[in-house]
Amino acid sequence: MPMDSADVVVIGGGVSGLTSAYFLAKAGRDVVVVEKGIVGGEASGRNGGMVSERVDEPALIPMAVEAIKIWATLDAELGYPTEFTQQGRLQVAVTEPEMGDLYAERDEAMRHGLRAEMVDPSQIRDMIPGITDRTLGGLFFANGGHANSQLTVQALAWAFQDLGGRLYQSTAVTGLRVVDGRVTSVETTAGDIAADMVVGAAGPQTTLMTQLVGVHVPVAPARVEILATAPLEPLFDIALVGNGLYGRQAASGNLLFGGGAHEWTDVGLTAHPDKPNTPLIRNIARRLADLLPGAADVPVIRSWAGVVEQAPDYMPIIDILECPSNYVVVTASAHGFGIAPATGKAVSDLVLYGETDIDIGALRLSRFAGYGPDWREQRGWTPAPLRY
Amino acid sequence: MESRLLVVVGGGVAGTAAAIEAARAGVRVTLFDENPIAASMARLNVPQFFGQRFAGDIHDRPLMIERVRTANEALAEAEATGVDVQLGTCVWGAFRNSESSRMLDGPQLGLADDERSWLVKYDRLIVAAGARDLGIGFAGWHLAGAMGANGAHLLMNRYQALNAQRMVVMGSGNLGLNTARMALDRGVDVAAVVDLSCSVRGDARLSSQLRDAGVPLYESHTVMEAIGADGDIESVVVVEIDANGEPVAGTEKALAADTVCLAIGLVPNVELLSLLGCDLRFEPELGGYVPDLDEWMRTSVDTVFVAGDAAGFHDGMVLDSEIARTQGRLAGVAAAESLGAIDRDQALARRADLQAESFDSTRGEAYSNWASWLQSLLTAGGPGALVCPCEGVTCAELVGLQPPRHLNWDSERTSQRSLSALAKDAPADPDQVKRLTRAGMGHCQGRLCREQVSMLLAEESGSAIAAVPFMSYRPPVRPLPLRVLWAHEETEQVRRDWPKWFSPTSPVLG
Repeated sequence: MPMDSADVVVIGGGVSGLTSAYFLAKAGRDVVVVEKGIVGGEASGRNGGMVSERVDEPALIPMAVEAIKIWATLDAELGYPTEFTQQGRLQVAVTEPEMGDLYAERDEAMRHGLRAEMVDPSQIRDMIPGITDRTLGGLFFANGGHANSQLTVQALAWAFQDLGGRLYQSTAVTGLRVVDGRVTSVETTAGDIAADMVVGAAGPQTTLMTQLVGVHVPVAPARVEILATAPLEPLFDIALVGNGLYGRQAASGNLLFGGGAHEWTDVGLTAHPDKPNTPLIRNIARRLADLLPGAADVPVIRSWAGVVEQAPDYMPIIDILECPSNYVVVTASAHGFGIAPATGKAVSDLVLYGETDIDIGALRLSRFAGYGPDWREQRGWTPAPLRY
Repeated sequence: MESRLLVVVGGGVAGTAAAIEAARAGVRVTLFDENPIAASMARLNVPQFFGQRFAGDIHDRPLMIERVRTANEALAEAEATGVDVQLGTCVWGAFRNSESSRMLDGPQLGLADDERSWLVKYDRLIVAAGARDLGIGFAGWHLAGAMGANGAHLLMNRYQALNAQRMVVMGSGNLGLNTARMALDRGVDVAAVVDLSCSVRGDARLSSQLRDAGVPLYESHTVMEAIGADGDIESVVVVEIDANGEPVAGTEKALAADTVCLAIGLVPNVELLSLLGCDLRFEPELGGYVPDLDEWMRTSVDTVFVAGDAAGFHDGMVLDSEIARTQGRLAGVAAAESLGAIDRDQALARRADLQAESFDSTRGEAYSNWASWLQSLLTAGGPGALVCPCEGVTCAELVGLQPPRHLNWDSERTSQRSLSALAKDAPADPDQVKRLTRAGMGHCQGRLCREQVSMLLAEESGSAIAAVPFMSYRPPVRPLPLRVLWAHEETEQVRRDWPKWFSPTSPVLG
């Protein structure tokens, strides 16, 4: 006997899975979410909270623009706070090559009709009190913003539950039963859940999850880090990118900034990854003090690391598998948080109608047809050997 | 990067004993002690609950270093034995490769003084980091003058810089009684020792000494609130409680005092052990999560040893420093043996000597006493008391799982959420509660509220306290200014390769 059954079983309580589940429940579907830890336990609740129009990845612009429209009223829609604020996003350059990148992004933004303007160092100092005198210029996106990732995932989870959705946390998927080319049941550590449709939003576990149904979806897990300072008086409400960092000042006053080299890693379907600790926070601290010399005396009180996944072209994957034909795969390649509302809409459309108006043409799985199981070795995207 | 053979963290009884033992066995030992700490850290109530009760002397580094050095004679002995003693140096991080991070060239520690931070590799590590103050909230405990027993001990003994005139001690037992005696010895007036139980707990000789000195011992009493003006405590209201722990109306007494000292319990400092991935287990008799240790004081990570209060604290250890000293010596022997400085037979012989010295290991169940205090303070003072003073989260807000107040969020939906409802969705997880309420996210790095959050979580979810998971620690485990944490030795290569975000040209660590 299955322990539960649903129209749709969503695997993964990260931000992509939860937005998908929310829109499906809102459309009247009976939905279950299965999460091996707590909602947003990994990258979805440990990211920088940035919401942008993704001019750095032009193929994502339509989704990002759609997402920002939803973000604008998300708190009211969900009934719980996400701390979303839309005072813009500022990218500053401290080197000439970075200035060149900003002009190129400005041109790209213009081509897409986005609100973006170059700002000079004195405008930058007005926008970000305490910022370094070394900026050469900046690019300001009026529509950008940021939100609290931890509050956001819980807001989505609760709003989903308020619509009658069922959320099983601390419940890991151990198998997928396939009959006649369709997943009929999701096997979990808490029992089997019968399903008409499955959404696989397993993040870094995506390759392992789709392996259970004999499909290869190439993503590589990687670890990235962020630090948090003690609260400061409100300085700026603009999402800030520069000096090798991205970050924001949260509503609570804390500076949250991340960046730096990533590290390829491995994950398991049921195990929780070790909490990684590295001294990289010292390099992040250096860059943050360089970027905001006015804040050099503020203590760093915390840091965190999240495991994200990357597809070979650094872009999300959103698609329905050919076989099993009732499995929608979604993985965000570390772009997940900001675009999540659009991801959820697109996935929900695929489940409900088999297609979506949102432009996901560049995100189809077919683009990786030539990728075999050894693609990570070939790319050098494997973890370093473990030496204690 | 600098490399050290054996590092001892902590220059208290256990740490110095460990360092001396290993040095005598021929090991090159480096001992780091964070004292004297920077005034900026003391203001944040790290690593102890100082309650802003430090004198101006704390700013005088040379004076403080001299006082810390003379407060523990064993430090001089360690130096004479060849131990490299570095005071005023905190250990804020401990890093070691794991499945999820493999970039390190061997295990290392993050160190810092007032000015800068740096990394040091080590072969063996002995953590003798002591214990910290247990925080339990009551109305007014955010005011200057509310402090903890270990904070008071540190300021009285090592710093000679306690700035208090008249103190109320919350909690008896050896911890509370000893705090009161120490305060009296240093000319601080003790207005009262308050305890919930109907007769004072702890060493009988000590309690009669206090009685003889005219210190009122308030049995079957609790604290209602601390009252202050201009952010400073001026009086502490105590009240009698009946057999059910309920305050007896009309028995309230306002005691004039500028300081109220929480001496209800101490919690082993396991931050570094947690960062290193040493197995921890919940042990209510020893103050909560403590490391799994073998008979050599070795953790589950075979290069890491623990001694003293960090290995587990009980009230019997307050008056008997031999327990910590013996543990330190044993860890020193074990580390020396694991480095090949002495052979197995020598180590076994020394261990037999050490264990022959008997010591009192009286333990009591600490957590039930802590939970009684939490309950009693809430009953007497109401649920408006802060659980997390840094972030301003009240008990009512925590139990109601309300969004942080600065969001000004009020909706019917959020008002229906609660800790007990959350516990129905998944096993109680203090990290999840922290994310939602911000309790534990403050500048004291969660030191003042962790145990309360766990106890409230256990209570609201109807689970045993031992079933509440460990609330994780993240580096830096000391609040360090950006300019101090700053990687001064960063190479040109790192700067050149620093990526914008994932991209085809991103360098990979490792």
